[in-house]
Amino acid sequence: MSENKKWYSLDLGLNKTKKSSGTCGCGNAEGSCSSTPKKEEELSPDEFYEAAINASIGEERHKDGFDQVFDVKMDRRSAFRKLTASLLIGAGAVSTSCSVTTGDKSKEKAQIDWEEQFKGNYKLMTDEEKQGTIERLMRSYELRTDKNISMTAENAAEDVLFGYAFNISKCQGYMNCVSACVEENNQDRNSEMQYIRIHEMKDGEGFKFDKADDNYYHEVPAEGHFYMGTQCFHCDNPPCVEVCPVQATWKEEDGLVVIDYDWCVGCRYCMAACPYDGRRFNWSKPEVPENEVNKNQHYLGNRMRKKGVMEKCTFCVQRTRKGKNPACVEACPTGARIFGNLLDPKSTIRWVLENKKVFRLKEDLGTEPKFWYFMD
Amino acid sequence: MKNRTLIYYVVLLLGISLFSCKEKDGYHSISDKIEGESRPYHGNLSSEDLLMDTELIQITEGEFTFLIPERKGQIKSFACIECHSKPVSQMKGTTAQKAHWDITLNHANSDAMDCATCHNGEDMNSLNTLTGKNIDFNLSYKLCAQCHSSQFEDWKGGAHGKKVAGWAPPRASNTCVNCHNPHSPSFETRWPVQYNTQKGIERKEGLDH
Amino acid sequence: MGIFKVFKSLVIDSLDTITKGSAKYHLWMGFLTLVMLIGMYCYSIQLEEGLSATGMSDRVSWGLYISNFTFLVGVAAAAVMLVMPTYVLKDIDFKQAVLIGEGLAVAALIMCLAFVVADMGGPSVLWHMIPGIGVFNFPNSMLTWDVIVLNGYLFINISIPFYILFKHYQNKEAKKSVYVPGAILSVFWAVGIHLVTAFLYQGLQARPFWNNALLGPRFLASAFAAGPALIILVLAVIRTFTAFKIEDKTIKKIAMIVTVAAQINLIMLVSELFKEFYAPTHHSESAYYLFFGLHGKTALLPWIWTAIPINVLATIILTFNKFRNNLKVLYVCCGLLFVAIWIEKGFGLIVPGFIPGPYGKIVEYLPSGIEIGVTISIWALGAFVFTILAKTAIGIELGELRYKDKNAENV
Repeated sequence: MSENKKWYSLDLGLNKTKKSSGTCGCGNAEGSCSSTPKKEEELSPDEFYEAAINASIGEERHKDGFDQVFDVKMDRRSAFRKLTASLLIGAGAVSTSCSVTTGDKSKEKAQIDWEEQFKGNYKLMTDEEKQGTIERLMRSYELRTDKNISMTAENAAEDVLFGYAFNISKCQGYMNCVSACVEENNQDRNSEMQYIRIHEMKDGEGFKFDKADDNYYHEVPAEGHFYMGTQCFHCDNPPCVEVCPVQATWKEEDGLVVIDYDWCVGCRYCMAACPYDGRRFNWSKPEVPENEVNKNQHYLGNRMRKKGVMEKCTFCVQRTRKGKNPACVEACPTGARIFGNLLDPKSTIRWVLENKKVFRLKEDLGTEPKFWYFMD
Repeated sequence: MKNRTLIYYVVLLLGISLFSCKEKDGYHSISDKIEGESRPYHGNLSSEDLLMDTELIQITEGEFTFLIPERKGQIKSFACIECHSKPVSQMKGTTAQKAHWDITLNHANSDAMDCATCHNGEDMNSLNTLTGKNIDFNLSYKLCAQCHSSQFEDWKGGAHGKKVAGWAPPRASNTCVNCHNPHSPSFETRWPVQYNTQKGIERKEGLDH
Repeated sequence: MGIFKVFKSLVIDSLDTITKGSAKYHLWMGFLTLVMLIGMYCYSIQLEEGLSATGMSDRVSWGLYISNFTFLVGVAAAAVMLVMPTYVLKDIDFKQAVLIGEGLAVAALIMCLAFVVADMGGPSVLWHMIPGIGVFNFPNSMLTWDVIVLNGYLFINISIPFYILFKHYQNKEAKKSVYVPGAILSVFWAVGIHLVTAFLYQGLQARPFWNNALLGPRFLASAFAAGPALIILVLAVIRTFTAFKIEDKTIKKIAMIVTVAAQINLIMLVSELFKEFYAPTHHSESAYYLFFGLHGKTALLPWIWTAIPINVLATIILTFNKFRNNLKVLYVCCGLLFVAIWIEKGFGLIVPGFIPGPYGKIVEYLPSGIEIGVTISIWALGAFVFTILAKTAIGIELGELRYKDKNAENV
């Protein structure tokens, strides 16, 4: 980790066992990474350790999205103890790092949880720090499930500004985009969270969203109807970013409006500020069956979320920063969705903007969405 | 004296307007920004890796030059002359095994189109324009463009159709027949791939509109 | 010697005071504690399950917690209506009431903060909001403004009464030059907290129901009606149960404030209704939903049609001197007004802001049992805090609590 952190980091000198987690070359999971035998100070009895773990990471384990698929079933502790534990989380973590008793694996887990709990805002991290946190997250996943994920932290590429166009006359309402999005982005299956909504509108009534149906189930395209998709529009002047009290959401250089799930405090002010219904909140612990987890992840994109944080469409940052199209664009069978680089004069999205009659939703609000609609 | 106060006021006004200027990057709107920062892309991101597995050919139509998937290799019974060794008129009524029996033409009405509109009975290895010129199977879009000119314009620009993979250059666009069955080009009605039961419950409870 | 010794003695004495009292007092405190414990249990369930334990959803993402928060900021701000005449306009009448008012402000602010924390999805990472350690999105986010002004106001409202009581505790006269500037500051600050809280909503272009220029002033007017109304009720209770002397004159003066504020509030309400219903636009749908229901969705009708009539009724009754000077009528009116404004600012303001949603979809909101439990317990917390503060303050003001210099005795 770099020395000049931009945030206050709690290091009480108790973290001397810190190792470059996740990157230990030795494949052995059970702590053989540490070649030198550690001093095992038997500071406290096992019960104390247990309590400390409970206080520090037990609560987090429950809230934490990272273990949502790992089936780590903690025994149900009494409600009051949990309450106290959550309040004393910091204190608990201190005692955890003090007590160096049980296996290296759980110690490493505790170490990772500690560092994750008190890490800074991703937006302000240096590249090494970003690398550090994704390595911890990957290692943490491995420790909990014995399975590997690949997580990246690509920054915005230069000379790229992402934009999107939606062809209203082409969309047939098949909803392939919706299910591709859910699978790609590891959205909560319990609450059936979806970033994309396809509104079925009646011909001749214009864009009457209030009369539209966004959860139809009949053969499509239905007679006398047309379809219009909405999702996060990645505004150039995003009201959600302005209102966030902790800068947990921001606009990246390539125009993506992203969220640091670990920095979000869950106040939902951004949700109230969004005129486009673009944001979703994890009202309970998000769950994705292990075999359905998309393991190609990005820190700002489809990595596992936790309970009580916001999330939203990121134009599939994990894909688009590698040159791919977002999952919805790729899945669309009708070619109604066009994605590309707004700054490249030769890109197809630019041709659409310059040659088709494009419009955006609620332009009068001054949000400058980077999501245009057009018709043939 | 009077002038000086005036200058002060002007400076103050400028200062205020500077501070109150909300545009952080100095552009008034996203279109100004696109215009202002637009430059040919020479970045590191490329779709080349994603296109590795696809056989592509380069075409130039007007000002546009881009890649489209190669077609002939995808047609199962190509080359056609392996069976169509004689013109169709001579093969008709023979006892040879029937092929393509499942193809029904569901494209325009029968007054406007029949098999010969696109296929050349004399030379089955090529397609056939309305004026009887040969078109390579790889360039079948030219055939479609004869009637569907506005779609063709949109396709060339990129408003119609899909990319093969990735937004990053080089541009590789699917051609007409990658999405449309030329014998029955319109999309069929079908059921949406999914239904949100949670929203369904909400609605049943009378909570949703 | 020193201040610390006096302080220690004050803490011990006040602990002594608040743990002793009549059976009624113990019953009251015991009841509050029970309610708080039940609330803590509810909150623990909410922590465990997430905010899905509440009635909120993606469509109505703020509910009872934020409603109460908004209302209580108003109650806190209203303490200023007592401070101003006493310290700034030198109207001595109010001096007795001021300490109570400021105690009420402190309790209300603590409740505000508790409601905000209860509404958070990740209370364990709230430190992200602490400037210096976390990232504080100031001045862009109105929520950060709110954090600053609320905490500042809390500080002012704790320090001024504390200074006065601390001096009185030592049998000294509090220096005016010390507390009057603070009091004057708090007058402006109080207007600030409520205006900033209004801006929290007013600044959202996504929600046309809130995005109107009248919201801030209306917040102030309704706050200055509901807050002093609560103070009147509290004073009435204190008058009945303690030896603390509060003259009728004081109560009547506060009643005057309540009346004027309630009248202004009604004028603004009429103006708002006129704007929404004379030439209704697409943006009037929230108001339609609130007052008449939309597409058969009518969950808020009982609330708003309870609130508006009793608000109008109470205001009309208070307008007549004859009724207002009758204390019994006054108390009833204050109670009615308080309830009416609570409904108006909660169910009548926060919830319809989300209905219909950005794309016209309507999902109604009803608080869950858990949510109601937590809400009631936070109110109990406020009552608890206020009772402690008031009991100590009254003890000092009545001269029951006095610093005894043991050194002096020994000599």
